[in-house]
Amino acid sequence: MRNKPVLTFILFVVAQMLLTNYFHVGAYVVLTILPVLILCLPTTVATVPAMCIAFASGLAVDFLAEGTLGLNALSLVPVAFIRKGLVGLIFGMEPFEHKESISLKKYGFAKMSVAILLSLALFLVIYILAECAFTRPLWFLATRAGVSLLASYAVCILIVNLLTDDDRR
Amino acid sequence: MPREKSVAAGIVSLAVFLLLEAASLLMLTHNGTLQRLAVARIGHGFMAKTWGTTQRISGYFSLARTNDELAQENHSLTERLRALKAVAEVTPYDSLTAVPPDGFKYTSAKIIKSGTNSQHNYILIDKGSDDGIVQNAGIITSKGVVGIVEAVSRHYAYAISFLNTEVNISARIGTDGAVGPLAWDGTSTNRGLLKEISLHVKFAPGDTVYTSGYSTIFPADIPLGVTGDARVINGATNEIQVTLFQDYTMLKYVTVVENLHREEIESLTGPEKK
Repeated sequence: MRNKPVLTFILFVVAQMLLTNYFHVGAYVVLTILPVLILCLPTTVATVPAMCIAFASGLAVDFLAEGTLGLNALSLVPVAFIRKGLVGLIFGMEPFEHKESISLKKYGFAKMSVAILLSLALFLVIYILAECAFTRPLWFLATRAGVSLLASYAVCILIVNLLTDDDRR
Repeated sequence: MPREKSVAAGIVSLAVFLLLEAASLLMLTHNGTLQRLAVARIGHGFMAKTWGTTQRISGYFSLARTNDELAQENHSLTERLRALKAVAEVTPYDSLTAVPPDGFKYTSAKIIKSGTNSQHNYILIDKGSDDGIVQNAGIITSKGVVGIVEAVSRHYAYAISFLNTEVNISARIGTDGAVGPLAWDGTSTNRGLLKEISLHVKFAPGDTVYTSGYSTIFPADIPLGVTGDARVINGATNEIQVTLFQDYTMLKYVTVVENLHREEIESLTGPEKK
């Protein structure tokens, strides 16, 4: 995401729209790559612009895919809000000091997985709670969140590989 | 300085975050029925909790005043009881009829919700069908008429408040004066309008207005308020302003009255309009 970050970002938002519109794993599985797009934004992007980007991308997906308007935006903005803290907690202050993006090759599979899982979990919890609007039992929500987390994680790991350049190159 | 800058940035981030989340939630509730209902349910739950808590707090601080009022009411009831006992001693009473001499059954109740802010106010009381409350029973206090029971569940009853522009009760000036419908004036919580009083009827500002007893809902002679200014309507009748005794914003304890002869009366006259 370093060379042409805007173009890459737009491409992946379009990918999310296609994923939502045409790739149905099951009625109750939420497949999303949006949290990872926000997580992998360049570290030079501050929290407020990141939240605005998250809001715009969420709305774009809601509007152009078959979602309820506001659902993805509601779930994605918190990911952008905690992004800096999450990156600092898992990867340390190095990415910010060196103004470099986080990457799978530099920080390793384990750390990236933890970051992806945490951002996905936050997104999915809000998304599923807001979508079901407290009308479903807790076990159903938990199962849906768990299955969606695993499915989305698998897709996100692939996406991260494409999305992040190795800064040492 | 950098620390102050980072605190300011944190506050800005938080403000933007809250703003964006609020915007998302607003869009979501406008576009999703389930979400709109959920937000409404949460909002109502929060309001009910807040309302209940503030009521409990204000109730606690007005305990002394309530006690004084109860003591006064207790005193006047004891006086009435003593007088009635004296009458009962000289009047034979057939216990087999099991109907009180005035034909009304009295049940005490507590108001758990009441409104005074709209044109159609209502009251919720903590007694229901399990306590013998029936539809169209009256609700009174020692200071006036409070409302009429509209619907009853097992433990609660929903009543139309007297502070409702659709409610009229039969009232009389003095204990033997002219009778007319008394209704809320729709603006102030302590003023009513006594209507359809003939022009020839004499009254003076400050005369007490009582329930007439012509209604099957309320017993006679409950003091309601005092007369004030009057104006002539269509050159035919007087409309008299009545300052009510009851402070409807301070209501807590009420008495539900049921006319035990109501069905019999209405079988002759038809159901009574409120």
